[in-house]
Amino acid sequence: MIAVDIISDGLFAAVAAMGFGSISDPPMRAFPYIAILAAVGHAARYCLMTFLGVDIVSASLVAAFIIGTGSVWFGRKVFCPMTVLYIPALLPMVPGTYAYKTVFSLIMFFQEISSPTKGSEYLQEMIFNGAVSFSVLFMLAVGATVPVFLLRERANSMTRGSKFI
Amino acid sequence: MTQEHMTEIANFLARYLSYMLGSGVHTSRVVRNSKRIGAALGVDVSIHTSQKTATLTVTDSECLFFKTRVVDIPAFPISFEWNADLSALSWAACDEKMSLEAIERKFAEITAKPRMNPVFVLFMVSLANASFCRLFGGDIWAMLITFTATMIGFFTRQHLTKRKVNHYIVFIVSAFVASICASSSLALGIDTAEIALATSVLYLVPGVPLINGLIDITDGHIQIGISRIVNAFMLIICIAIGMSVTLMLVKDSLL
Repeated sequence: MIAVDIISDGLFAAVAAMGFGSISDPPMRAFPYIAILAAVGHAARYCLMTFLGVDIVSASLVAAFIIGTGSVWFGRKVFCPMTVLYIPALLPMVPGTYAYKTVFSLIMFFQEISSPTKGSEYLQEMIFNGAVSFSVLFMLAVGATVPVFLLRERANSMTRGSKFI
Repeated sequence: MTQEHMTEIANFLARYLSYMLGSGVHTSRVVRNSKRIGAALGVDVSIHTSQKTATLTVTDSECLFFKTRVVDIPAFPISFEWNADLSALSWAACDEKMSLEAIERKFAEITAKPRMNPVFVLFMVSLANASFCRLFGGDIWAMLITFTATMIGFFTRQHLTKRKVNHYIVFIVSAFVASICASSSLALGIDTAEIALATSVLYLVPGVPLINGLIDITDGHIQIGISRIVNAFMLIICIAIGMSVTLMLVKDSLL
């Protein structure tokens, strides 16, 4: 049952990454690798959060680092810069529900602005959700960029000798 | 090297870097690629970039002549295919010692390639948002509603963009359309209606400028990095405005 959960999590993340990636018009040859990276990254985050009890921010950092490192390796195979592979793969990890709750509590704060107890409750909720969604977004970008600094030579010659131009 | 040849090189490099910056490539890559092409053609290139314009100076090896150009950066839709292929072009120019004419021909070939079929993109995005809904714990009905809402919302976005409506208005309207469609799940009494509502607008999140901005800042191109992030935050605020109109309308059934 646990294995089914992990696999289905990765599968849906892969579909989400390919779909959101297609808005930015990636080359066709990149799609399989975007899917693999997204599936591995999201499943890793799911495992960390569910089985090891890691918080969402640190788990996102680790998952983004895995995706970034994977994109160094795969990028050489399909002659794509790392960003082409890892940006779509990161998108399924965007903290959507937290972002939604931030907006929702802000709206409710305006509605309850005259009632001090309810209003401050919503304001508190807004700051809580806003802090989580901002930190996760930030950690996603940082985690995926760190491999670029560690493997600079390789990361900068990813498209050398491309057969696709 | 004649002055005319240097002017031709400067003109080509100006076009090359404006296309790359316009289609959403992070700055340090653009600078590196342009310098690489310049080195292959025997000139030094220095570039200053900002959000809407870029300045480049092409100098010959003896520093006798230089050509400076200021170029406007056109607003292309983001294209990873250009990112990959134009980067590969700079390596090809460097490794195969291509002439300027050959590079220009390849450049025209790459930029003339058609984009992905919009109907295919529409389908893929809807599918993606539906699986996103599943990742957040939505059930099959919530997924179906998200799929439909995204399809209608993204269709609106594609058509407004085609009509060249201001992109802030495009974001507000499509966020509103997608979320109002998703709010039908509240009326239908689906258990995970709130998740459907929350995910329906996520196809609009400007992930590429956000991450590019952070990459630029860590690479030291702080000004353009901040511009990109501010730009992305403006779009996120627009999504929030569009969605809050829906929330105002349906908030009683959400509490």
